[in-house]
Amino acid sequence: MDTFAEVLLILGSALAMIGGIGVVRFGDLFSRMHAAAKAPTLALILVAIGAAIEIGTLLAATTLALVVMLQLLSSPVGAHALSRASRRQLTIPVDDVDELTRDERSGA
Amino acid sequence: MNVVAMIMLSIGAAGFVYRLVRGPDLPDRVVGLDGLLSVIVIGIIVAAARSDNGSITIETVLVAVFVGFVGTAALARFIERRGN
Repeated sequence: MDTFAEVLLILGSALAMIGGIGVVRFGDLFSRMHAAAKAPTLALILVAIGAAIEIGTLLAATTLALVVMLQLLSSPVGAHALSRASRRQLTIPVDDVDELTRDERSGA
Repeated sequence: MNVVAMIMLSIGAAGFVYRLVRGPDLPDRVVGLDGLLSVIVIGIIVAAARSDNGSITIETVLVAVFVGFVGTAALARFIERRGN
């Protein structure tokens, strides 16, 4: 059970690292947001399960469950608010075509 | 084994710091800040998993997650109002 917790901790850390690399490597804002919003959330879930097994008290397990729930609620809301706000300010073409602006102009 | 996790978290945090410093516009910096706080939260949990009083240290994380959400939402409102 202890090795299982270790594996979860390292897997979560690796996922956070992949998110950081993606934020550096991706080309435009929404791609970066895709890397920055989702990878750390799953990383947090894995690390929280690992830490809950490793610590082993009920208090730690409930607190970590609360943290995971809060992150699952707040991360999509924050990412959506940020993308909605920045979408109004900058036109970012996806695959060389800004499809949302095209649809808005055509009055759909 | 804890060291391996911490090294990987450091690499991820370096990526987010790079985006926080270099990001061409304000939204990119907000993405970097938000992700950096997530990595810090994960780091605190990894550190608490091996400490003696881990269940007390974990409570810090609850505050950090909430502050991160409020910060991102406030900056998003700021961008919506003012532009980048």
